[in-house]
Amino acid sequence: MRAPHPRALGFLSARTSEAQAPRGADDRAAYSFGRPAPRQTRSRRATRECLLALAAVDAMLEDGGASRDAIAGERTALLYSTAACYAASNRSFIEGGGGIHFAYTAPAVVPAEVAIEFGVTGPYAIFLGGPPATLRAIWQAALLLESGSCDRALVLAVEIFEECADLFARAPRLVGRPLVEVAACLWLEPGHGRLVFESSRADGRRSRAIQADEGEMLGCGPLAVLDRWRRSGGKAPLRLSGAWRGEQARLMWDQDPAPSASDAHERKESVSELHGRGGR
Amino acid sequence: MTTERRERIAIAAAGLSTPIGHGVEAFWSALLAGTSGISRIERFRVDDLRVGLGGEIKELERIKSLGRVPDSRASRLLLSAADELVAQTDFRPLPLDPSRVAVVVGTALGGVEEGERALGGDRTRRRLRDALYDAPAHDLARWLGATGPAITVSTACASGATALAVGADLLREGEADAVVAGGYDILCRFVMRGFDALRSLTRDFVRPFDRRRTGLLLGEGAALVLLLREKDAGRARLGTLLGYGSASDGAHIAAPDPGGAGLERSVRAALAQADVTPDDLDFVSAHGTGTPLNDKIETAVLRRVIGTRAVPVNSIKPGIGHTMGAAATLEAIMCLLASRHGMIPATLHLEEIDPECDFDHVMGQPRASRPRISLSTSLGFGGCNGALVLEGRA
Repeated sequence: MRAPHPRALGFLSARTSEAQAPRGADDRAAYSFGRPAPRQTRSRRATRECLLALAAVDAMLEDGGASRDAIAGERTALLYSTAACYAASNRSFIEGGGGIHFAYTAPAVVPAEVAIEFGVTGPYAIFLGGPPATLRAIWQAALLLESGSCDRALVLAVEIFEECADLFARAPRLVGRPLVEVAACLWLEPGHGRLVFESSRADGRRSRAIQADEGEMLGCGPLAVLDRWRRSGGKAPLRLSGAWRGEQARLMWDQDPAPSASDAHERKESVSELHGRGGR
Repeated sequence: MTTERRERIAIAAAGLSTPIGHGVEAFWSALLAGTSGISRIERFRVDDLRVGLGGEIKELERIKSLGRVPDSRASRLLLSAADELVAQTDFRPLPLDPSRVAVVVGTALGGVEEGERALGGDRTRRRLRDALYDAPAHDLARWLGATGPAITVSTACASGATALAVGADLLREGEADAVVAGGYDILCRFVMRGFDALRSLTRDFVRPFDRRRTGLLLGEGAALVLLLREKDAGRARLGTLLGYGSASDGAHIAAPDPGGAGLERSVRAALAQADVTPDDLDFVSAHGTGTPLNDKIETAVLRRVIGTRAVPVNSIKPGIGHTMGAAATLEAIMCLLASRHGMIPATLHLEEIDPECDFDHVMGQPRASRPRISLSTSLGFGGCNGALVLEGRA
C-alpha cells in the first residue's frame, strides 16, 4: 500500500484550549470545549459534535494554508471515526429535553455537516470504535488514494464527553480519565513509501489513553500522536497505534511520507502559524 | 473517475433473519409469495406515536450453536443470522486461523436500545458497554471465535453496503482470508419515535414508486454473508461482489439531494470498479423506500445511468420494512437469489406507477428472469449513497 502524505492537520483539544491547564496536576473527569458558536443560520440546530467537526476542518485548512475550494468537490474523500461521540445526541433525544432533530442522532450526520459546509462530495466511510477505527479510516483513505478514487482524503475524528460524563464514569474499564474532548481532521494526499497496517485482537484488553498526561481521547488518540509527530518536525518514522475493546492496531509509514522537500518546507511554516495562534 | 478494477470477491454463503422469515430459504419463499411482515409493534410502547406499524420479528430464532449469547436484542439478532451462516458453512468452530477471520458489520443504530435502558435506570456496566454502536460486532466476533479485525461501519441506511465493501477490501489487501460481513438493526422505541417525529412513516402500505405512496415503515433484520477471495471460494458460492461505489450528497442532513448527483456518482463508481457498463445490468434492486422524494430521485438517476432500456427494478421494503443497517445486505442477497432461482420478486403494493417513477417495475407477481449482473442502491441520512454491483450464479 502506498503511504499517504499527511499534508495538514487540524487538531483541537479541550485540554489545551482551557488556558493550558497544567497536565497531570488535577483529577478532573473531563475536559470540555463547551458549545462553539454556530457559524451561520444553517448550522444553528447542529449538535456540538458537528460544530466541532466544522472547526477542526477550518483548523486543518489553516494549517495547510489552503482555501475551502481546495477540498470542495467529488475528488475529496471523507472518512469519519468516533468511538462514542453520538452518545450525547442519543441521550438528548432519549431524554427528550434537548429538542434535538432526530437526524442528528446518527453518527453519519457529523461528516454530513462537513460535507455540506465544505462541499465535499467524494467517496466516504464511517468507522465506529476507538483508536483502531481511526487507524482503519486512515488505511481506507490510503486505499481510496491508491485506487484513484480520489485526489485527497480527509480523516475526521471527533470525541465529546461532557453530556455523558456520568455514564462514562460508570465504565472505568472501558475508558480512562480524564476524558479530553478532541476534534481533529487530517488531510491526506498521495505520498512516498509504504504504509503497513497491523491489527490483532485478544479479548480482555482495555482501551488505553494515548498518554497518561494527555488523557483519554478515544478515537482521536492516534491523531494526537500524529500532531505531536508533526510538531516535532516529522522526522522520525511515523507510527500510530491504539487499542479498543480487545483490538490492538498499528499503522506504520516505512519512510518520510512527504512527497518533496518544498512541500515539507511549506508544511513546517504552516505548523509554526498554527502554534502561533495557540491551537494544537 | 479513474477507479481501477479490483479483484472480484466471492459471496460464498448467507445467513439472515427478517420479519418474513428466518433463513435464506424462508426469506426467499416469502418474497416470492408476497408475504408481508408488517404488523402492529408489540415489543415496546407505540400507542403515543402517529404510526405503530413496522416489520417486527415477533420471536427471535433460537441460536442453535453453542456459546454465550449476549443479552442485547441487537446482538442476538445479529447472532441469529450468523447461526444460519455457520450452519451452512461449517464455520464454527472456525476452519482456519481465527486471526485471519474478520467481522465487518454495518448498523444505523448499534446498541442504542441498551442506551435507553442504561438511561432508564439499569445501572449495570454491561448495559453501558452494550450501548456503544460497535458492541454487537464485537459480540459476533467473540461468538465466532474470530480474532481478526472486528469493524463497525455506520453510513446510516447504506451501512450494509459499506460493510460488504470494507470486507472486500480486507480480503484484497491480505488482512484476512475470510470475512463475515453484513448489517443489522432492530426496531426500538428510539428509532420509532425518531421517524415518527420526522413524519416519514406511512399509515398506509409502503408503496414504492406508486402514485399514492406516502412514506416508509421501518423493520428489523440482520443479514450476513461470508466473503472469500474468488480463488479460495468453491463453486457452491452464491455469487460475486464486483464493485462498490460511495459518494456524499453534501446537500442535507436528513433528505436526499433532489438532483441525485451523489447517488449517480456512487452508481457510476460501482459500475467502474466492477468493470461493467450500464448496458450489462440485468436487474436493479432499488432502495425504494416509498417516500415521495426518494423514489423520484432514484428513478431519475437510474434513467440517467441506464437510459431508456427496460431493466427490471424492484424494492423489497414493502414486505419487511426499511431494515436500515441490514437493508443493503438483504437486498444484495435477494439479487443473488434471483439469479440462482431465475425469479425476481415483485414490489409489494405497487399498483399505479407514478409517471415520475416510470421504469420496468416488477409488480403484481414475481417475474421469471435470471439476472446475471445486478445493481443495488442505498441512500441514508447525512447524504450517504452507496451502490453495489453483484454477479449472480445460476
